Amino acid sequence: MGTTSSTLSNSLNSTHPRPMKLKLDDIPESCVAMVLSYLDPPEICQLARLNRAFRAASSSDFIWDHKLPSNYMYLVDRFLHVGCAHLVKKDIYARLTTPISFDGSTKQIWVDKRTGGVCLSISAKGLSITGIDDRRYWNHIPTEESRFHTIAYLQQIWWLEVDGDIDFQFPTGTYSLLFRLQLGKVTKRLGRRICNSENIHGWDIKPVQFQLATLDGQHAVSRFFLDNLGSWAYYHAGDFVVEKPNALTNIKFSLTQIDCTHTKGGLCVDSVLICPSSLGKNLRSTV
Amino acid sequence: MASESKMIMLRSSNNEVFEVEEALAFESQTIKHMIEHDCADTVIPLPKVSSNILAKVIEYCKKHVTSPKDDNNELESFDAEFVNIDKNVLFGLMSAANYLNIKSFLDLTSQALADIIEEKC
Repeated sequence: MGTTSSTLSNSLNSTHPRPMKLKLDDIPESCVAMVLSYLDPPEICQLARLNRAFRAASSSDFIWDHKLPSNYMYLVDRFLHVGCAHLVKKDIYARLTTPISFDGSTKQIWVDKRTGGVCLSISAKGLSITGIDDRRYWNHIPTEESRFHTIAYLQQIWWLEVDGDIDFQFPTGTYSLLFRLQLGKVTKRLGRRICNSENIHGWDIKPVQFQLATLDGQHAVSRFFLDNLGSWAYYHAGDFVVEKPNALTNIKFSLTQIDCTHTKGGLCVDSVLICPSSLGKNLRSTV
Repeated sequence: MASESKMIMLRSSNNEVFEVEEALAFESQTIKHMIEHDCADTVIPLPKVSSNILAKVIEYCKKHVTSPKDDNNELESFDAEFVNIDKNVLFGLMSAANYLNIKSFLDLTSQALADIIEEKC
C-alpha cells in the first residue's frame, strides 16, 4: 500500500519544465475534497493515506453527505444504537456499511460500500415456511455458507410455500428481490465441501414461482426451473420502484411450488435479498 | 449603463495585465464580489494566479460565456479537450478555479483530476 501511495505521489508530482510547478501538497484541502467527492468510498479511503491534506479532506462531511443513502437518518435512528450527533458523516458511513442484525438476528441491513445502496437480507428464519415445524418436511441446518449461519433444508414436501413480508423505508430507486437457494445438502468432510444430492427430486417437472407485491400496487412474477446443484444461486423474483423518499414501503413476496401431483425435496433456502437493481443484476444467475 | 461592455483589468502574479469583458470576468464569483462591493481599483490583482494559468482561465470563461446555451455537445468536447493536459497545469487550473470561485470550472478540473487518480489507483 505504501508503494502505491508513493508511486501515485511521485507520478502526480513529476517534474515538468513549467514556471509554476504546483505540488500535490499545495492543493487546498477544499479542492482535494472536491476531487475526492468524484471517487468512490474505497478509493477515498485509500487516498486518505497519501498526505495530511488528503487525510483531512477525506473526512470532510461534504464528501460523505453525497455518499450516504438519502434515508441515512432513518437507518441511524432505527439500527444504530448511538446518537449520531457526535459522529462525523464518514463514521456514519463506516458504521452503516457493516451489516447490522435486527429482528432477533433474522434480518440484516447494510449499505453497499461502493455504491451507497441500501441492502436488506432476510434469513429463512425470518420467513414463513409452510410446514417448517414438521421435521419430516423441513429442518434448520447450521452452516457457514449463510450470513445468518443457518439455512432451511427441505427434505420432501407436496406443498412448497415460502412467504415473507417486510416494512422498510428505502431511498428512492429501483430494487430487486432475490431468493438465495441451493439444491443439495452441503457438508464439510475433512475440510472439503461435499454436496449430498440423493434427496434432490421434483424440480424438473414444473417451475418454481417467485412473486412480489407492494402495498402501492406493484407486482412481479417469475418462474424458474431450479438447477443449481451444489452451489448457491440468486433467483430474481422481480423489481419494485420506490418513488416517495420518506415513505415506508411494504413488500410481500413468496416462493411457491404447489403442484401436488409430485413431491419435491433437497432444497436449501438461505435468505431473501433486497438490493438496488444495479447490484442485483450482478448476482442473478438465471435469465 | 453604456451599451458597450465594460472592460476589466486583471493582473497576474507575474505582473502581466489582461483586459477582459465584464461579463466574462463575472464568471468568477471572487472578481464579481470584488467589483460589486467596490473592493477593487481599476486593475484587480490576482497574486495567486500566474499568467499562463490566467490565460487558460480566460479562454475557458470566454468559451462558456459566448457559446449558445443549447449547444451542450460542443461545450462538452471543448471541456474534455481543455482538461486533457499536463497534471501540473491541471493542478494550477484547479487552484485558480477555487481561488477565483468559478464553480463549473472547479467541477470540471476536479472531475478530471479524479479521473487521473482513478486510473492510477
